[in-house]
Amino acid sequence: MVQGSTSVGQFVFEQRATEPGPSVLYGEHVKLTGKSHIAAFAGYLMPLWYSSIGEEHRAVRERAGLFDCTHMGVLEVSGADAAQFLNLVTTNEVPSLKIGRARYGYILDAAGNVLDDIIIYRRGETSFMVVVNASNEPKIKFYVQELMADRVAVGGHSPLCGLRVAVRDMRDPNRAKDRRVDIALQGPASIDTLAKLTDDASVVERVSGLKGFAFVEERLAGIDCLICRTGYTGSTVGFELFADPEQAPRLWNLILEAGEPLGVVPCGLGARDSLRIEAGLPLYGHELDGKFNISPFEAGYGWAVKLDKESFIGKAAMQRVAETYDMEVARIELPATRGVRPIRQDDPILDKAGRCAGWVLSAAKVDEKQYALAYVARDAAQEGMNVGVYYLARSQSQVEQGRAQAAQKGQKLTADLAGTVVSRFARF
Amino acid sequence: MAVQRGLLYTKDHEWAKVAGDTATVGITDYAQEQLGEIVFVEPPKVGKEFGVHKELAVVESSKAASDVYCPIAGKVAEVNSELEAKPELINEDCYGKGWICKLKITDKKSVKDLMDAKKYEEYLGTL
Repeated sequence: MVQGSTSVGQFVFEQRATEPGPSVLYGEHVKLTGKSHIAAFAGYLMPLWYSSIGEEHRAVRERAGLFDCTHMGVLEVSGADAAQFLNLVTTNEVPSLKIGRARYGYILDAAGNVLDDIIIYRRGETSFMVVVNASNEPKIKFYVQELMADRVAVGGHSPLCGLRVAVRDMRDPNRAKDRRVDIALQGPASIDTLAKLTDDASVVERVSGLKGFAFVEERLAGIDCLICRTGYTGSTVGFELFADPEQAPRLWNLILEAGEPLGVVPCGLGARDSLRIEAGLPLYGHELDGKFNISPFEAGYGWAVKLDKESFIGKAAMQRVAETYDMEVARIELPATRGVRPIRQDDPILDKAGRCAGWVLSAAKVDEKQYALAYVARDAAQEGMNVGVYYLARSQSQVEQGRAQAAQKGQKLTADLAGTVVSRFARF
Repeated sequence: MAVQRGLLYTKDHEWAKVAGDTATVGITDYAQEQLGEIVFVEPPKVGKEFGVHKELAVVESSKAASDVYCPIAGKVAEVNSELEAKPELINEDCYGKGWICKLKITDKKSVKDLMDAKKYEEYLGTL
């Protein structure tokens, strides 16, 4: 297996299968939930849920929920040319990013494939923190290393090997100081909960005054925290806290203790998924890249790909996609009243003529409704349009009864459930 | 994890309660715990015959669809129609009101391969 660039600029990386290890907060999870609710995810043993997915989902919408995100990759990009480096390697605009602000973007290969979706936090003129998906962290580290050694295609612009920049893993146990892992507190009660962790009113003021994608570096209960108003739940109020991994269990417990009277609960991967689906947020491998090779434009994030930048890796491919894409990610609302079967990934979406116009990428049940993020022909995915869903066969007996196991685009099928295309994103 | 005496168990976490030539079948407490909130059950057709380990039913939670395998060879005599409107009965009372179907046993020998409560408990301990 070749690792690195192919002749067409595609970056190939084969991840080694490794035995999943405990997350930094594993010791806390096993106190809070049974081992049967803990599963391997992106190389870590993570909680699926503590009480139930539905209860944890509701807690985030009505009060607040605490998430173990310590599996997320946290990289430091620093040096005199750090901004220039990130501006070439990622799709969004980096030099204009102010200190104390964060920005969402993509790392592409020269062929325009999405290698990861990331958030860049600017901590200083020449110092950035980049949060990458847990599942993509080994690939991104390798990609960056190869880029800096001038061993992969960069698609036209000058090589990056001369730039004065260093990329370091901020979760590395051997790192001497400023180690960081991510814990997320999401939901309306987040501010009141964090306020209980400090006696300093000015800290509370600075944290509660944060705008979206803005951050401060403060001490909470004596722990150095980078506190950013970002998240993956669609909550208007929500924070990600980046702290030292050794302090993370203490911070986790202090937040749960402070939040208990406010109804704050720990939340697992299940609610994390249903919350992000309801909000319309993409998951790498589902609504980005994946088997349909979904681009940022199709995912609804064309604004995070700055085609007017002079240069970035994958730009030429993105220009082509921006002009030609005819499928996009749509958010679809369907009923989930009692007795309604849940829709699943790959179930076909039918247009009003009953023809397959796309497929479900992710789906989640939220109370009496279910939401699908689906990859659908753009002309069938406009807000307000009615669509149908066909349940693909999920059991041998259904196959025997003639239910289809897969559907091709344009194939005529009879809808099992009717839904509506709703706004691409929702905020709560 | 509750294990009920007097029932027979499979490694796939189905239970069977044998009375004469009839077996009532359901999924265990361990299985319902793992699935989470159950929102849909696809029962087998009454009158259909199933061999051991054949896909008898599908139980779906909000996150996964899971096959229920037939623990004992038999012909479906009755299905729990209450599950259609109340699939959560499996979460609430998996060994009681959450039963899935009743089988008329067609091959008594297949009962012998099942675990009793004590063996099943031991098995759970190894997971």
